Amino acid sequence: MFLLTGTTIRRTIVIGRQYLGIGVALALLLSLILLLATGRHGGTAFQTTFPLELPLFAVTGSMGGLMTFTSDRTKGVFEYLIAYGVGPRRLFANGLVATSAVATIILGLTLGVGLTAAVADRVSLAENLFKAIAFYTVPMSFAGALFISTVGMIWSSLSTPRTGINSPLGIAPMVGVAPIILVLIVAESAPSSEYYYITGGAAAMIVAAVVLLLALSARLMGRERFISPL
Amino acid sequence: MSSGYHGRRVLQDISFVIEEPAIYVVLGPNGAGKTTLFRTLAGILEPYTGSVEIDGIGIGHRDARARLQYLSHIDGIPDGLRVDEALNFYATVEGVGRQDVDRVVRMLGIEELQPRFFSELSQGQKKRVSIARVFLQERSIYLLDEPTSNLDPKLAREIRDLVLGLSKDDLVLYSSHNLFEAKEIGKYVLALKGGRIGYFGRLSDLRPAKYIIGIRAEGADGALSSLSKKGDYYLQELSGPEEVPNLVAELTAKGVRIREVKEMENPLEDLFA
Repeated sequence: MFLLTGTTIRRTIVIGRQYLGIGVALALLLSLILLLATGRHGGTAFQTTFPLELPLFAVTGSMGGLMTFTSDRTKGVFEYLIAYGVGPRRLFANGLVATSAVATIILGLTLGVGLTAAVADRVSLAENLFKAIAFYTVPMSFAGALFISTVGMIWSSLSTPRTGINSPLGIAPMVGVAPIILVLIVAESAPSSEYYYITGGAAAMIVAAVVLLLALSARLMGRERFISPL
Repeated sequence: MSSGYHGRRVLQDISFVIEEPAIYVVLGPNGAGKTTLFRTLAGILEPYTGSVEIDGIGIGHRDARARLQYLSHIDGIPDGLRVDEALNFYATVEGVGRQDVDRVVRMLGIEELQPRFFSELSQGQKKRVSIARVFLQERSIYLLDEPTSNLDPKLAREIRDLVLGLSKDDLVLYSSHNLFEAKEIGKYVLALKGGRIGYFGRLSDLRPAKYIIGIRAEGADGALSSLSKKGDYYLQELSGPEEVPNLVAELTAKGVRIREVKEMENPLEDLFA
């Protein structure tokens, strides 16, 4: 069933291309601004803020996963797949894999371009920057994206289809970026010695929340939840 | 069996066996449970009580599922795919090849739709693509939930002909709101009422409360002038279809040139009363 996963990833990119494009573009724009502001002075702002802001764009940019799930449920695609013998758990996992794939694309592009631009701007990349990327940016990006995806999938399957700002699709990005913005504010204002505690702790909490949600999802996401409400 | 959603029973005390290859028309007013019945038979919903079996094998089993094809009243085509991609997607899920996709594309006449995104198609075109999926692989049981809704009369006729072809060797459960269509193609009727079976049997065994025929004829002013008219048809109530030949002979003897005789009442209407 690699086909199902592969097709879902491709469709997630197509369906969520606007979010993906905006997520990548804004992340690169911000890194450029950070470099222009402080690049020639050692890139201090770049080295501390760049790893903190990336999860924000990885989360908003990977909304395609949730959009695809919601669309498939509403349009009755899941009904067909269940009738063909694909289990609800697999469908749920498929949505999460697609979200992770898009988050990987965003992270790969923004980290690659951002760090290359910094090197080109003769910023000496400190070890702390790589630690922040490894212990905060990457886990927080994936956990954040999976967090909104899981919440959104459970929520959208519990409710009748709605559109607009008060729908799961409208609210999910706000729910997802809230902890990241909080970390951004706290980490920037806290003493530098607490930087890793704050970022690492926040990433660990979000990862724990995702694990908890995934454990609950088996109970909350019975096969009836995958049936179109139309 | 009983079945429904989130603990709320939509179907209750449903029990039937079907064996003979034919079209079994599933009828019922909105909310009677037709779609729930199809979803339960297809293994999408798990019955709260009882079971669905194909030749003694539970519908949850792979062998039972492999004998069944399901068409939802919703198109079920994934967003973000072109028509040929969507059909190839389902072909792979079903384990059939490209040649089967080409075959159904020709069968449904959707060659020109293949490069287009599904979301760009009209309602009728979408339905046609959705139905094409049903014919990707031969199955022995077809569950078709409103296959002709949103279709123009010509295409609806083509689809009915395809379904009639299937019913020669296979079991077809076919839901429709169109009673004339149901009467035309159905051999058996399964009527749902309030989530229970209101009637299950041969369509030919159903008799309308009143048997009324319409006669379209020329030179009928004298012989039929006492009858009421509906459009071009003179209405005559008879005790049953066995009286029709005598009536026709009698009118012909009186010089009436009969163009058409048709039943004006559909016995299926009584199932909705």
